[in-house]
Amino acid sequence: MSGPLVAVLVALGLGVVVVRRRSVAIALISAQSLLLGAGALSLAGERSADYVVAGIVLVAKAGVVPALLVFTLHRTRERRLVAAAAPALARLLACAVIALMVSATMPSLGLDSEAAERGAFALVAIGIFVVVIRRPVLFQAIGLLVAENGIYLLALSAPGGMPFVVDLGVLFDLILVVTVALGFSHRIHGEFGTGDTEYLRGLRD
Amino acid sequence: MACVTDLVPLLVVAMLALPVGGAIVCTISVRWTDRVSIATAVLTAAAAITVALVVAVDAPHVSRGSWYLVDGAAAVFLAVVALVGLASALLSPAYLRHAGRSWFRASRARAWYYAALQLFWAALLAVPVAENLAIAWLLVEATTATSALLVGFSGKPSALEAGWKYVVLTTLGLAVALLGIVVLYIALGAAPSGLARLDWEQIARGATGVGGDAVIVSFVLICVGLAAKIGWAPVHNWLPDAHSEAPPPVSALLSAALLPSVLLVAWRLRDALEPTLGAGAVRAVLLAFGLCSLAVAVPFLWRPLAWKRLLAYSSLEHMGVLALGVAVGGSLATAGVLLHVAGHAVAKALGFYAAIPLLRQDPEAAERPASGVALKSRPTAIAMGVSLTVLGGLPPGPLFASELMILLALIDAGLLPVAVVAALLLALGFLGLAHALLEALLGTPRSRRARPMHSARAVGLATAAASVLLLAMAAVAFELPDTALVREAAGGLR
Repeated sequence: MSGPLVAVLVALGLGVVVVRRRSVAIALISAQSLLLGAGALSLAGERSADYVVAGIVLVAKAGVVPALLVFTLHRTRERRLVAAAAPALARLLACAVIALMVSATMPSLGLDSEAAERGAFALVAIGIFVVVIRRPVLFQAIGLLVAENGIYLLALSAPGGMPFVVDLGVLFDLILVVTVALGFSHRIHGEFGTGDTEYLRGLRD
Repeated sequence: MACVTDLVPLLVVAMLALPVGGAIVCTISVRWTDRVSIATAVLTAAAAITVALVVAVDAPHVSRGSWYLVDGAAAVFLAVVALVGLASALLSPAYLRHAGRSWFRASRARAWYYAALQLFWAALLAVPVAENLAIAWLLVEATTATSALLVGFSGKPSALEAGWKYVVLTTLGLAVALLGIVVLYIALGAAPSGLARLDWEQIARGATGVGGDAVIVSFVLICVGLAAKIGWAPVHNWLPDAHSEAPPPVSALLSAALLPSVLLVAWRLRDALEPTLGAGAVRAVLLAFGLCSLAVAVPFLWRPLAWKRLLAYSSLEHMGVLALGVAVGGSLATAGVLLHVAGHAVAKALGFYAAIPLLRQDPEAAERPASGVALKSRPTAIAMGVSLTVLGGLPPGPLFASELMILLALIDAGLLPVAVVAALLLALGFLGLAHALLEALLGTPRSRRARPMHSARAVGLATAAASVLLLAMAAVAFELPDTALVREAAGGLR
């Protein structure tokens, strides 16, 4: 993966930290998945199986998962935007600092593309940050996808890539978990009238 | 015996295929779901327990296929998962009879419940026998989707909250573990390519000649990620909520089968990477999780908590004990760990099953501490008493022996301060549980109205069966360290 492409992937991840609208966040994660999928196709080896697996991953991550997100978005209309836990600039700065620290402290794995290595760790950190800091359930689900895209970036950069079984297994699990998470999102919205996780604070000791 | 040994590969496939088939049938044939589920559970448990017994009797020989490995440790975990799954399937009709509202449409709720339960159980049965780290991860992640549906099954706001936390936190944890697996895969670059590189034995072999930093990072990432699923503090936040909001038969599976199964993955990772990283580094990570879990759990055992939340914090405490045992290794600690997994599973599952009649009799017990149960339902009170006295570590219960073995192993390994702190925390935990039990059984009941219940009779039978198992474990406890099964399990991956 080239440095500029990795930079765009990280920027799209940071966009999810900043944007207010869920629809924009879905567009950002879809674009990130599409770029990663395209990158996977360009890296596919000479075997046709490489192309098939990369194609399946591309269709699933940039097609099926965004479709599920859009479907949930339409079924969970918010009357007003969910208030943010912190101002956008503060979120962006805090996330950028954490992502930089994580990618700088991880030891080098000796891959051809150091940018991909650093970018992968940064994306996982950004994904975790999104889950922790963003209040709407849909944003938290998108945070999981950002982290997963980071892992996929690292897996693509591994010499020879990861085994097909792992790629497809992770993809299957991802779609399963995202479907269940979006099912919860729909139910939570139906029960509380909003997807704001601030309302999910009833269970305390 | 040789004839049964030859059947092991077939039985391994059967124990995984049967619950998947049962789940499909349950969704198609809504009318016969109870019977289909019970028949499937009996056959599945029979296959899994036969596999476990064959391997246990045949120890130190292990049963190995192209994709599975049943060694001494896997045999014990497999038997535990099979027994708890069977009991949960048998007791589910008693729960569903009065379950009330559900996430699903009323006409389909029972079918979806059984389908999710069977799929969850199938994934759980596969985890202990997975011969490969990546496959084990995929199976652990697969448990999340099915069990999350079960956690949120009631559809109540509190259940949705618990289910959401469970999905998000465990998926995030497993994402971190997956990152660690990819890092490890890259670090083992010289080893054979493809999936085989992540076979447990290949990891152990391949990591030997690899530089330390990447392997240490991968070990920490995988451990931290798995910790979120095992429920080790400080990444345990989902555990009390999910255990308390799930239907009781599912809570039993979560606590007695899911947590230990994932712990076995961490145990195998420790076995595989200890020769490369050294005992010190590996122990430090696991001891930290163990002590932290004990320290976080014990104060909650002193609080007046609802019955199922109390059991959930007890799970956190016991996962801490298991982390200490896995950290130290050796025959004594391994015997302690295996006995602890089995004893904890039986006692904890019984405690959750007791919640079926308890919550029927006193719905307020879902949110407030139980009180005066002995005056209202004797079978429920006996089940709660047996469960909590064993979980507290009172002799002659098997957990007394297992905790003693793990503490002695810690001292033997030169970790006296850790043993002293753990012993103090366990003693405090015991006092907290004893106090909670006395209040639950002999306190003033919120209402004196008692009603006979089918579920109380079912729990009475479960108590009798559990008592026999617990006494049998206690009887053989101190013989365990010298058995071929434990020696094989303590020997690590060969």
